[in-house]
This record gives sequence, structure tokens and C-alpha cells, in this order.
Amino acid sequence: MTIDDTSGELAPEALAPVGRRRTPLWLAVWRDRMGRGGVVTLAGVLALVLVGPVVFPFNAQSFGSSSASILQGPTGAHWLGTTELGQDVFRQFLVGGRISLYVGVSATVIAIVLGAGLGLVSGYYAGWRDSILMRITDFFLVLPTLPLIIVLAALFGQSILITSLVIGLTSWPQTARIIRSQVLSLRERPLVLRVRSLGARDGRIMRVHILPNVAPLIFANLALVLSGSILAQAALAFLGLGDPVQVSWGTMLHNAFNSGAMSEGAWWYIIPPGAGIVAMVLGFSLIGNCMDRVLNPLGQDAR
Amino acid sequence: MNLLEISELSVDYGVSGGTVRAVDHVSLFVQEGESVGIAGESGCGKTTVGLAVPLLLPRNATVSSGEIVLDGHSLVGRSEAEMNRLRWKSVAFVFQGAMNALNPVLRIDRQIREAITRHEPEVSKAAATTRVMEMFDFVGVSPTRAKSYPHEFSGGMRQRAMIAMALVCRPRLLIADEPTTALDVISQSQILALLNRLRRDQGLSLVMISHDLAAIKRVCDRVVVMYAGVVVEVGSSHEVLGTQGRRARAAHPYTQALIQAHPDLRGERTLSEGLRGHPPDLSTPLVGCRFADRCPKVMALCRTTPPPTTEISPGHLAACHLLSSGPS
Amino acid sequence: MTARYFARKFLALTATLYATVTFNFLLFHVLPGSPVELLARSGHYDAAARAQLVKLFGLNHSLIVQYVIYFNDLLHGNFGFSYVYRESVTTVLGSAIGNTVLLLGAATFVTVVVGVVLGVYAASKVRTATDTAITVLSLGAWSMPDFFTGMLVIFAFGVWVHWLPISGIVTPGLVTGFWGHLWDVSRHLVLPTLTLALVNIAQFSLITRNSLVEAMVEDYMLTARAKGLSRWVMLVRHALRNALLPVVTATALYVGMILGGAIQVETVFSWPGMGLLIYNSVEQRDYPVLEACFLLFAVAVILTNFLSDLLYHSLDPRVRRT
Repeated sequence: MTIDDTSGELAPEALAPVGRRRTPLWLAVWRDRMGRGGVVTLAGVLALVLVGPVVFPFNAQSFGSSSASILQGPTGAHWLGTTELGQDVFRQFLVGGRISLYVGVSATVIAIVLGAGLGLVSGYYAGWRDSILMRITDFFLVLPTLPLIIVLAALFGQSILITSLVIGLTSWPQTARIIRSQVLSLRERPLVLRVRSLGARDGRIMRVHILPNVAPLIFANLALVLSGSILAQAALAFLGLGDPVQVSWGTMLHNAFNSGAMSEGAWWYIIPPGAGIVAMVLGFSLIGNCMDRVLNPLGQDAR
Repeated sequence: MNLLEISELSVDYGVSGGTVRAVDHVSLFVQEGESVGIAGESGCGKTTVGLAVPLLLPRNATVSSGEIVLDGHSLVGRSEAEMNRLRWKSVAFVFQGAMNALNPVLRIDRQIREAITRHEPEVSKAAATTRVMEMFDFVGVSPTRAKSYPHEFSGGMRQRAMIAMALVCRPRLLIADEPTTALDVISQSQILALLNRLRRDQGLSLVMISHDLAAIKRVCDRVVVMYAGVVVEVGSSHEVLGTQGRRARAAHPYTQALIQAHPDLRGERTLSEGLRGHPPDLSTPLVGCRFADRCPKVMALCRTTPPPTTEISPGHLAACHLLSSGPS
Repeated sequence: MTARYFARKFLALTATLYATVTFNFLLFHVLPGSPVELLARSGHYDAAARAQLVKLFGLNHSLIVQYVIYFNDLLHGNFGFSYVYRESVTTVLGSAIGNTVLLLGAATFVTVVVGVVLGVYAASKVRTATDTAITVLSLGAWSMPDFFTGMLVIFAFGVWVHWLPISGIVTPGLVTGFWGHLWDVSRHLVLPTLTLALVNIAQFSLITRNSLVEAMVEDYMLTARAKGLSRWVMLVRHALRNALLPVVTATALYVGMILGGAIQVETVFSWPGMGLLIYNSVEQRDYPVLEACFLLFAVAVILTNFLSDLLYHSLDPRVRRT
């Protein structure tokens, strides 16, 4: 016990039996009301989208037999009505979600690998490498993301592969910034400095001492980049830059909007894909927001 | 009549999984013009007692028993609006110097002036400004620096500005919480000299909360020693913190250990054997004397029965079984 | 030193603008699959026409020369020639810029005011049901694609109630005086503005709330409370001024977001601005117009960033001297 300890008075947090940091991230998310809401929402959407098409396969060729079945409201045969081509909205909805999810996930993987990698290298080596990398990052950070994505998609094509690439290659700067600043402080930790002075290889230090410490931050960021990617894909598809063959939720809304479903009052065609996007994005946002709060409790707790 | 009288005050903090009694039936008083020090290790409840007087406790804290009477007014249970009128006017605070106690984005003179305009709205802006300048002069900071931002001041100057702010509404009582902590030695000495001058010239009543026994001895008439939320010894600071030859005159083993552990009173920065370990966990019920686990003179009785308070000489009281005449 | 700070920032601004122009040049003129190349290879044109196109776009010159010509054209406000409208891009952009500025201005005003007020309200009720509700609703609004929100709004106002116009900027065929026109435009402005604001309010309310909650536990807030200041003065004068700093930083991010939103909302509401122009030029592959719009958007974001940096600088005395 040091008597010249100046650290304030009785800090109630210090008396809590379990340190905040020791709780695994996923458990902390599950314990949080909003975090659990996100997990439940997401689990519901994922179950629908991943299992749904197996139970209710979609056949793009099964058009309505007569004009009467075009843009038709929900019936026993078509639970969520039909599209302007007489296709079943419910089945298309289930398949469309897969495409939205697929593009969102693959774009996020690209963005996170790029962003975390650059952030790690930049923060770890600091110095001139950091300066150059951060200049580039800042440049891409200020470019308006969605307009850039639209331009790239217009120039390079609309397949889901290109869409994923385009979104992934434009969504990394924020991640790079966040990871870098964390790594910058980690590399000054006594343990890292000591291991370094003992001559450990940089790659090993990064893998063993730095990466595990930024991993939770990467996860929190992952959830937010995911929701951003899904939104970007939806916007692209809605603007007619989606894959014309692989129909996503955004494409469905594009078709609905351009086929007069709005003036027909065909809510069954508009609400499901829109609600699907919102639920998926909200699920990821709630989880990401919750992780953020767990990792950075300052903004939420105390007094 | 006493200016401040705290009787049987208990404060509970709500924490995850229960409550922690940070202050347990503490009583103390401050007479008009008197200066009282509250000493103890960090975490012993001394800041909580200080914050309780103007009811500035954190949200998760509640006053669960006791009375606080300031200048004849009972404070516990008053509404926030009522307290707001009394705060700074009746009791002002000087916070720990290391703290970010001044708002970083507002000029210091404005932060001081707003205390005047809050409590004396009839004072014109010009008159308030004059008063702020006088206060700067009084605490030894050039009034030309009044329009500075906090980060433009050194730690010692910030603390002077804080004192100027505390005095600007001429409070009846000043509570200074670790006013010299985290300052360099010269600034510490200057701040203590300033507090002494305030007492002499203005007849200010002062409560100084500090772990620095030398500072308390220099400024305070009396001292209250706290341990684990209770008062263990009270007396004139001359008597409690003084030495007789090489022996401390303090009656309680904890106070003795504190004095021995203290670099300024003993010269050497060595921790006494007796102060090893930590204060007890307050979230579990405690039996007997709270210092028993760390006390070098612990007896079987100490672990079962809370010690009674014994008067050693007029005004000098301590709670220790060693002092009771014979086993009770 | 403020002058030196400004000079440094201005230099960085110039560099970023230059980089943006170069990036734009690379994107549209050099990269494989660039529009001019596509056009030149397009089967729609015979050899003579193609040769003329090559000449018109200066493809017969080396890249360096093309770059210099491009740069010089930009400096003279020449953005090229629209394939579709058969007019100079500058003419095509003309009224669209104003319409977009009008929409973005209105939406930004609503967004910032409502966002900050909502954030302050949530922070003053921190950790109550109201606070949680505001956070969840904000995240919910953030999760809505702008175009879908627009579709819902159109659905509500086009199918159920007919209080406000859902398309365009003026009522076609309506001939009125100045005030009548102003009233007509204002009515058309309401729904796109609200749609755009709704999605972006979340960003401001969440940031305001979080940084206010952070500021409220700072030591100087205890000092303010000890001084007996009212809750309102504490919140506005002491906490909000500190808490607004992150909000100012967020504005830069916001501009990038709202421009993306403008493309969607203008498309849905047929608002004749740059967003709708982008949508149309994507559909008709009118690359010169697309290029100009993107460049202007990028410049707008960069300028806003620059201004928000300066504003931050003037709000936070601690950085003022560096």
C-alpha cells in the first residue's frame, strides 16, 4: 500500500468482482440488452436467408400464367404476392437476401483485411512508412464513399464479384485509422518494447503481442463495416448497378420502383426486401454499437 | 456554535452486486474560523465526507443515515434547487490540483465570474470583473493573466485560480480536497502558505482533506483520522501528529503507522511494517476493529468487538481497545 | 500561431484537391475500361467517327499532354461535353447544382438541429428507458437505406394521404408569381428533406449523446455543480461546448454520407439535382457528366473537411497554439 497514492477516492468500479476486460467480448454482447437484441435479430434474418431458399426454392422462370397474377397481392399460393413478372415475392425475397449477405460479407472481408493490415503496419512501424500510408488513407477517407462506389461500378461492371471488390476496396480507411491508433499505443507497452529489444522478429511481435490486443476492436469494426457494406450494395442495386442475374434485395426494390409498384400500392413487393435490409443492417449495427460500448466504456458509464 | 456539524453520517455506494458503505457513522465538527484536516489513505472515505457536505455525491451514492448541519441549516434531504443556492455561497470547494477541475474551453475569468453572477445576480458585469481581478491579485496571479485558458497555466497557477474561484462568493466554509497533491514541492508550499494567510486574514473556516500529514499539520488546528470509513482518532493536530522525542504522540496504532510511513515527518520514505496490506473490503460485513488485520498490536478482542471511543485528553479521542482501561 | 496553422491547412487542402483531380483523371481517362477507351472501341461508330472521337478527347496525345489539357480545361471551368444532352457539361450541371445545394442545405439544417437536440435530450436522461429508446431508434433510422425510406414516404404521401407533392421540384404547368413559385418549391422540398434528414439524424444524435455523457463525468462538471449552477447552464455552457468538438469532426464524415444519400433521395423523388443527374448518367453511360458530378462531390467534401478543421481549431483553445 503506497501512501502517496493519489488516485481519487473509493472507485466503485474497482470493487466490482470481475474486471470488465476479463469478460469475453461475445459474452459481454449477450449480456447487454441492445447487444442481445442485435444477435437475436440477426439470427432470425440469417436463418430465414440461409435456410429459407432450401425449403422454398425460387425458380426465376416460373412466371405468372396470366396477366391477372402480375403484381398480385398476397394469396394462399403466393404468400407475399407476385412481382411485375408474376414471380413469387416470398421466394425471391429469401434468395435475394443471400445475395445481399454474400456481397456484404465478401466486401467486408476485403475491407477489414486491407484496413486492419494497413493499420497494423502503419502503427507498428510508425515513422515514414506511417506518414505515407496515413496520407493515402486520409485521401481515401475524404472521398465520398457511395459516389465513388457508384462511379467504380458504372465503370467496371455489375457482377456481384465486382460489386464486392468495389465496396471492399473503398471501405477500409476508417478501419485502418482506428487500428493504427490502437497499435501506436500498444507498441509503446513495456512488454512489447522488451520483446523488441530482445530481438524478436517484427512479424512475430505483431502476431503474438499486437494482433490479439486489437482483435476485439477489429470485431467491433467488422460489424459496422458489414452494415455499411450491405447498405452500399443495396443502394448500388437500387440505382440499377446491381447484378441483373443475381437478384438481391436492392434489385427487387429497383424493379419494384421502376415497374410502378409504388403507384399500384403493391406494399407486399416493397416492404419485405426493405425490411430485410433494415433488419440485417440493424442487427449488425446493434452488435457493433454494443461492442464499441464494451470496449470503450467511458462514454457510457460512471457517475 | 459549530459552523459545520456532521453527526453519524453514513454513505452507501451502489455497485454491481450490492452496496459498499464508504462512510460509516462518521461524526465531526468545525468551529467558526477553525481549520480541520481529514487524513487517511486513499479509499478511506475522506473525499466522500467532503463531497457529502454540499451533497455533491456521485449518483450511485446515498446518504443512508446521519445529519449535516451547516450554519444552523440541516442539509440532508434538501432538494437540488435548494442546495444550488447554498453551494459556493455557504460552502465552496477546491478540488485536487491534478484534476481537470477547470473547464478547458472556457477562459478562467469567465469561470470565476459565473459563480458571482449565479449567486449575486445584482452585481454588474463590470463590478464582477473587478472582483475577479482582485481575487487574482489576492491569490498571487497577475490579473493580466485572467483571460487565459486553463491549459495556459502551470499546475500551481491553476490551483491558485481554483482557490480564487472558491473565495469569490465569500463562502462560510471552504473544503479543500488534496489541494497540494500532484504539485511540485515549491508550489505545494506556496499553496499551503496561501491557505494559512486566508485563515489569518479572512478568518476562513477550512476543511482540508489530504493524505499529506505534514500539510495538515501546517494548516490545520485539529485533525480527524479516518480508516475504512470510520473515524479512528480526533484531536488537535499538534497533539495527534506531533512527536515526543522519537515517539509519535498519536494514540491509535493506525495513526502511528501513518506518521511513521510518512516521509516528511520521518525524513525517510520507508513504509512501516504495520502498513502492509490493504484496507478491508467494505462490501462485506465487518466485525470488530477494522484495522485489526494490519495492526501490529492486534489482540483477540479486536477481532470480535468494535473498539469504544476513549478520551485521552480534552478533545483528543481515539477508538482502540488498547486505550480502554482494562478489558471490558 | 493561427496564421501559420491556416497556411499549413491551406497547403494540405491544395495538395488534396490536386490529388483528387489526378485521381479523377486516372479513373476516367487512364484505367483500362475507362469511358473514352470504351467509347473509342465501341461498335456504334465507324472508323471515321472513331477517329474524330479520339481527336475530340485528345486520345492521340500522350498521357502527359492529355493530363495537362485536362487540368487546363478544369481550371477554365470546362468539364467536357455530355454524350447524351449534346451540350457542355457545365450547362447540364447549371441548375442541378443549385437544386442540390438547396436540398442539402435544408436537410443539413434539419439534421444538425434535430440530431443535436435529440442527443442532448438523450444525454440528460442517460441510462433511462428514454435514452435507450433514442439510441435504438437512432440506430434503426441509420439502418434504413435512404432510398427505402424515400419509398416509404412516397408510399405514405402518394397512396394514403395527399398532403404534399412527392415528385419533382415544381408543379408542372403551374404559372404563378415569385411568391407562388417559392411556396410551390418549398412544398416540394419538404419530403426529400425529411427523408434525407431522418437517416442522418442518427449520426448526430448518437455522437452528441456519447460525447456529452463523456463530458458530463469530467472533473470540471463537478466544479460546475459545486458552484451551484443550474442543470441547464451546466449542460449547455460547460458540457456541450466540449461535447460539440467531436460533432464538428463528424460533420466531415456526414457530408460524404449525405451526398450518397442525395443520389438516392433525388432519384426517388425525381428532384432535379446532381444526384438525379448521376443516376441518369449512370443509366445512359454519360461519363463526362458522371465525372464532373463526382469531382464536384469530392471537392465539396474536401472543402467541408477544411472548414470543419478550422472551426474545430477556433472552438478548442488547447489546439489553437500548436
